Amino acid sequence: MVGPLEQAILALMIFVIMLGMGASLTPRDFVLALKRPYGLFIGVMSQYGFMPLIGFILATTLPVNDTIKIGILIMACMPGGTTSNIFTYFSKGNLALSVLMTVTSTVFGVILIPIVLVFYAGALELDIPRENIIATLVLLLVPVAIGMILRKLNANVGAVTEFMGSLLAVFFILFLIVSWIPRNWEFLLTTTWGTYFGAIALGLFGFVLGYGFSVLLKLHPRNARTVALETGIQNGPLAIAIIAFTWSGAEAQSVMAVPVLYSLFIVITSTMLTMWFRRINTANEQPLPNGLL
Amino acid sequence: MSDQDRPWTAFYGPSTRKTIDTLDHETIGDFVSAKAEIFGKRPAFTTCLPNGMNGTLTFAQADEMSDALAVYLRDVAGLNSGDRVAVQVPNCLSYPLAAMAVFKAGCVLVNVNPLYTADEMVKQFKDAGPTAIVIIDMFSDKLEEAMTEYPFESVIVTRVAEFLPAMPRGIVGLVQKYWDKSIRPITFDHIRLPEAIRQGRTRHDHMHEVLEGYRSSIGPDDIACLQYTGGTTGVAKGAMLTHRNILMNMAQVMELIENLEDGEEVALTALPLYHIFAFTVNFLGFYSIGAHNILIPNPRPLTNLKRAMENYKITWMSGVNTLFNGLNGEIWFQDTPPRHLKFASAGGMALQGSVAERWQEVTGKPVLEGYGLTESSPVLTFNPFGKTRLNTIGVPVPSTEVKCVDEDGKDVPLGERGELIARGPQIMKGYWNKPEETEKTIMNGWLLTGDIGVMDADGYFRIVDRKKDMILVSGFNVYPNEVEDVMAAHPGIEEVAVIGVPDGSSGEAVKAYIVKQDEALTKDAVRAYAKEHLTNYKVPKLVEFRDELPKSNVGKILRKDLRAEEMAKAAEGQV
Repeated sequence: MVGPLEQAILALMIFVIMLGMGASLTPRDFVLALKRPYGLFIGVMSQYGFMPLIGFILATTLPVNDTIKIGILIMACMPGGTTSNIFTYFSKGNLALSVLMTVTSTVFGVILIPIVLVFYAGALELDIPRENIIATLVLLLVPVAIGMILRKLNANVGAVTEFMGSLLAVFFILFLIVSWIPRNWEFLLTTTWGTYFGAIALGLFGFVLGYGFSVLLKLHPRNARTVALETGIQNGPLAIAIIAFTWSGAEAQSVMAVPVLYSLFIVITSTMLTMWFRRINTANEQPLPNGLL
Repeated sequence: MSDQDRPWTAFYGPSTRKTIDTLDHETIGDFVSAKAEIFGKRPAFTTCLPNGMNGTLTFAQADEMSDALAVYLRDVAGLNSGDRVAVQVPNCLSYPLAAMAVFKAGCVLVNVNPLYTADEMVKQFKDAGPTAIVIIDMFSDKLEEAMTEYPFESVIVTRVAEFLPAMPRGIVGLVQKYWDKSIRPITFDHIRLPEAIRQGRTRHDHMHEVLEGYRSSIGPDDIACLQYTGGTTGVAKGAMLTHRNILMNMAQVMELIENLEDGEEVALTALPLYHIFAFTVNFLGFYSIGAHNILIPNPRPLTNLKRAMENYKITWMSGVNTLFNGLNGEIWFQDTPPRHLKFASAGGMALQGSVAERWQEVTGKPVLEGYGLTESSPVLTFNPFGKTRLNTIGVPVPSTEVKCVDEDGKDVPLGERGELIARGPQIMKGYWNKPEETEKTIMNGWLLTGDIGVMDADGYFRIVDRKKDMILVSGFNVYPNEVEDVMAAHPGIEEVAVIGVPDGSSGEAVKAYIVKQDEALTKDAVRAYAKEHLTNYKVPKLVEFRDELPKSNVGKILRKDLRAEEMAKAAEGQV
């Protein structure tokens, strides 16, 4: 569904965007996030505790066939995606925490994904493509590190990189939506409502549970927003890759339906959530009385 | 004067002189150039925008560029020594350049609050009579409106991102134009600041001789600034601060501060430079020790300070209670307080003890509170480092006498309350064109502050009350008369009285009591009307409708009765 050229372009875009994200960070941000591993722990919990459970409930209750059910389960067990960092940035969340959460859930994913899948899906034999996991990590960490170095060397270069990266990120989000729909038009028309529901609800429930859990544990609103986005946003491309490695032909297409649909709708729902988060962030800003400031 | 009369000198540091007798430099222009000789290539000023974009001028650059701008003012714009120049610019590189140039040209600086409405601008212009103005492009629309009543021959326009590298400057420009839409096309005749500097630079072959000519036209006792204030009576007037006043006050403050190192400090300037405290202490005081000054154009919201604190090793900052209180409450600030900070200085409004304590907890460093008035350039007292006393305004700075007197002007016994009066080289020359006002404020060389204070045996002062009706909103003076005059012009309002009431976040808030003429008048309508005619901080935060207002026998509205009511209410609320 996505050609190699497009994949390369997307990878390059993500690289530049993450360069910009990195330029907004300092090492101190990461030290702080690590100092309070609470948020990180909650993140892993949500990622591999809640999400697979949500996936399992959806898969068993929705009127969909078995291949779709597998698709839902796989999607639910994926680590956080890179787009979660972009949305966290725009939500004025804790970007360092988001990056760390993505990294941890991806690294832990190598062990946890098979375990969780075995737990929920029984003897499902899956190939976890390590190259994809490593590629995800590289594509995330290398540009973030370079961005941080750029900012350290020259604050102006850093700020310009960040600005360009965020502009590109907005373009990237629009591009994902706009280019996806016409290419998959037929697929969209032939998909049943159960599949739609599963693909959309997975992300939405993830947001709600991640946010609710963080608020319950009294995380700072900034961190709660981060955990919500991180929980809801899964690594769609990784799921698609895993499926492509494991299945073939019509069966692969069917298993892939949910991850593909999820990848589209998560961008749309995350955009809406981000707009809402920005609003509450502005509303919660400390009011400064008029006067000497 | 003996040390017995000045018990506070015992609390000065070992290297602090008790008196400062001579000026190191004749004028502020001389001072600027002399310091640039010493600190040349070090960074002097940096504009730091909320996203971290920045631009820097070294001491040598600031000196050279302000020389050129001075030449432009005198020889291209045609100003003379003593002419007034309005500067209506927020914190950015253009501000120090404009101010330095005005001094070097032998002209008089008139600081104008960039947030003023066109009405307020006109009022100030008409009184000060400036012939030229340097203004930020964001407010050119207000100037256009003001110019229908007070035309300027010479307008120099600048922008926040002035002198930033091309790329960030371009980005900021595009964002301001197309995203914020804060910049509109300018329809009146003007010149851009960089062009004015260019013209000044190429005007003469022997620039130094020309500049020497300007400098020799003025001396230390000529006016450097007309700094506007409502004073004790509320009629807006320009305090005439001389070069001596300002240079002395700067030296007095820096003398009292002990643990700063020449060329090593990084100051964060979030307070607006057009305010006398930031002007004398942040701008000139820290320039004098070769500090790198980080200028924040707009500290709202407070996250706008985050990048500056991350990207620069801030060693000192100044603020008002509101700023410290706000930062204490920001999660990012609690997480990452500036690590290199030595201490912070507070002025402008009373620093609450709880805020100071919390600040110390968060940053590990103290906030030192000081006190002063526009009329005293402004600093009269400060808390010495390491000998801070909470809820006091500290001790008088060197060469300054402060005492408490009764209604007859006689000294009150130690520990009793009296009006604070002060004497020293920083006391203004008087009010511009208002000799009667001056006479009411300065008596026998003593400045009557209008504040009621108490001195303890060690010479530490505490403010307990205010004699005048002035309202202090987050460091800004609001005069009930001015607000009442505006409100009274509303056709739906029969009578109005304005007082200050205690307010948690801003210290005091403006409250208006209104007797309606038009029954349909609403509180929102009142506030909306006030907003049209007054700067934000003057707009009544609270509005109360009454059937009548308390009055004296002769029909004068008694603000003090309303204040007493509010105090009683506040006291009840606490029980």
